[in-house]
Amino acid sequence: MREPMNVAVLLSAGHHPVSGRACPVPVEMQAIGLGNALGAEMTGLHAGPASETIADALGHGLARLVHLKIGEADDPLASLIAALGTEKSALVLAGRVGQGGEDSGLLPYALARALGLPVVPDASALREGPEPSTLLVEQALPRGARRRLMVRLPALVTVHPAAPAPLPFAYAARRRGVVEERAGIASPRGERAIEERAYRPRPKLIAKSAAGASAAERLKAATEAASGGGRVLVDPPPEEAAREILAHLRDIGVLRG
Amino acid sequence: MSRLRRDPRSERSRHRVEGAARPRFDLAAAPSGLHGRARRDPRAEFRLAQVPGTARLRLDRTQRVAALDLAPAARAPEPQAGPRLVAIPEPAFLVAAVPDAPGGRLTPHDRQLLGAARLLADAGGGAVLVLAGAPADELARAGADRVLALPVTGYDPEARAMALQAVLAGLDIRHVLLPESPEGGDLARRLAALTGEPLFAGAESLTARAVTRPAAGRRTEQRMVPPRLLTLAADAAAAHAGTLHEALEVAFAFPPLPPGAILSADDVPADPSRVPLAEADFVVSAGNGITDFASFHDLVEALHATPGASRVVCDAGLMPRAAQVGASGTVLEARCYFALGIAGAPQHLQGVARCEHVVAVNTDLHAAMIERAGLAVVADAQKVMPALLSLLAEKAADAETHDAGAGESEAEAVDA
Ligand SMILES: Cc1cc2nc3c(=O)[nH]c(=O)nc-3n(C[C@H](O)[C@H](O)[C@H](O)COP(=O)(O)OP(=O)(O)OC[C@H]3O[C@@H](n4cnc5c(N)ncnc54)[C@H](O)[C@@H]3O)c2cc1C
Repeated sequence: MREPMNVAVLLSAGHHPVSGRACPVPVEMQAIGLGNALGAEMTGLHAGPASETIADALGHGLARLVHLKIGEADDPLASLIAALGTEKSALVLAGRVGQGGEDSGLLPYALARALGLPVVPDASALREGPEPSTLLVEQALPRGARRRLMVRLPALVTVHPAAPAPLPFAYAARRRGVVEERAGIASPRGERAIEERAYRPRPKLIAKSAAGASAAERLKAATEAASGGGRVLVDPPPEEAAREILAHLRDIGVLRG
Repeated sequence: MSRLRRDPRSERSRHRVEGAARPRFDLAAAPSGLHGRARRDPRAEFRLAQVPGTARLRLDRTQRVAALDLAPAARAPEPQAGPRLVAIPEPAFLVAAVPDAPGGRLTPHDRQLLGAARLLADAGGGAVLVLAGAPADELARAGADRVLALPVTGYDPEARAMALQAVLAGLDIRHVLLPESPEGGDLARRLAALTGEPLFAGAESLTARAVTRPAAGRRTEQRMVPPRLLTLAADAAAAHAGTLHEALEVAFAFPPLPPGAILSADDVPADPSRVPLAEADFVVSAGNGITDFASFHDLVEALHATPGASRVVCDAGLMPRAAQVGASGTVLEARCYFALGIAGAPQHLQGVARCEHVVAVNTDLHAAMIERAGLAVVADAQKVMPALLSLLAEKAADAETHDAGAGESEAEAVDA
């Protein structure tokens, strides 16, 4: 049996997408689940102002949490770099994007760059590699496909929502968990020429032909593909129909072999 | 046939004198060509809307055929010239677009990305530089002026980011656009971390003067002039259309790229039976016209597809509710949809709206699904399914005897 790996999970102060109230980010709880499945020694890391809900992560199977106290207007990057420098984690897990802050998903990449770690995005499962200090990562791709990667540790891995569901919240586990509070590094964010206002949903693009047409035509455009007017075979013998269908599916490229 | 219908309005408008501010008519002069609106002939429309070959009167009110027939005959046919080629020999600057282009083909999101890049480039006399390999004519139609493929093979995003960084340093690039897709979003963030530039992630609207993105869980909207590095959300910008662009190859000397920390990467194709319907690539779906569900399930397995169903079938308990396709079920993202015995109600078609290819088998020639399909077969699904199955079994047996030599390829043939 190998030594249990040292894993750090980055936790962010999330907000619920509907109610807007503070709550843990689901994909970060899934990251805790992935780390637990590795049998790792886990530490949660959060840099930010005091918050009630950060400790809720303890209820989802995390034993220890380090809270780096910084101000509302401070950038968490510097504090996290310093903390991870002392933690000596073989693996850093993070969600892909936050939920309720800047939501640009840039922090894991900036952190990895500063620490010289490689980034592996969108993990849906983790396993120990065949050699020491390697990790097998199953990466979730669109359309349910996966990619198996072997990565040399240390590395930073972001977690995909397709990972196994997190452990349900347990109040006893939350009480049992340890929160260590430390002072973070104050580093005010640089000013950016960004104007902020209340969110306005933007219309999604729909078919161009719909503009100014009748309601029936708009419905048609919304339910019809751009490439209309296909081939129609009327009452072919079943064998011929089957041959035509298979040839067509092969042309499109959905049928292998 | 009755006598030709007179149209006094158009007869009068044929005498109209050109160029006057007020309408003037010179009834003595010889009539000029056709003018004005074509007169509607409701009887002819009715006649054209009749669907032939049915005992009962059946009208096709969509009037596709009728609209064509009623168009004024005198209008000269538009010259069918191909799209105009636009060349930008001396661009003021470059706008780089980095499409995902999986397998060397542009996705709809990639096309929208190129459309957005065109918009930024055209605002200031710039040119669009596409940093990916794809067929030249496809890129020309999508609006690419210059093309430069990145020298990275296999899955190595860090090397791609470094190659991009080299291009950014070497050429005069004002904006870099990437799609906010799993791969493009990852690359954009790597590039932002490498260059230390701020990233404007997931732009939802874009003009030459302002871009916006949602932040704080879609509670606030951030807005600024387009920065250098930005990613574009899906369906946020229109794809380029109308003109052709040159898609000229550009030469660029890339520096040597160091190997990354990823030791190996294998693609694992999705297991279609486990993939959620919303993510599936190929869906075979049963409707009320299917009675032989054993054959249907065999067919789904033989085609390596994900099973779906219409609401009627799910309501009847013949398929699980999770398999329902449509407005109150799942909206598909599939590349191909194979509908067996489905009429194609609007609620159902909404679920299929984003599918690129549709194949339909239905006994009713006038079903909406037949109209929607790229290949439609008017036949009994209960007879077509066994024929498909036996043909597929034949092919599989063929492939097996063909590859009997090598043990490994035989296993693949059984898989495929
Ligand atoms: C609010 C609302 C929401 C809805 N949401 C959905 C939804 O999300 N998804 C959905 O699917 N429906 C939905 N519906 C129902 C929808 O309106 C239709 O009733 C339903 O889609 C019809 O299913 P169908 O095409 O399988 O059945 P039918 O309309 O009965 O059509 C059966 C078709 O099979 C053909 N057929 C018959 N025998 C054979 C044969 N032997 N071989 C080949 N073809 C044959 C017939 O010609 C016919 O075209 C919704 C309805 C409402 C009111």
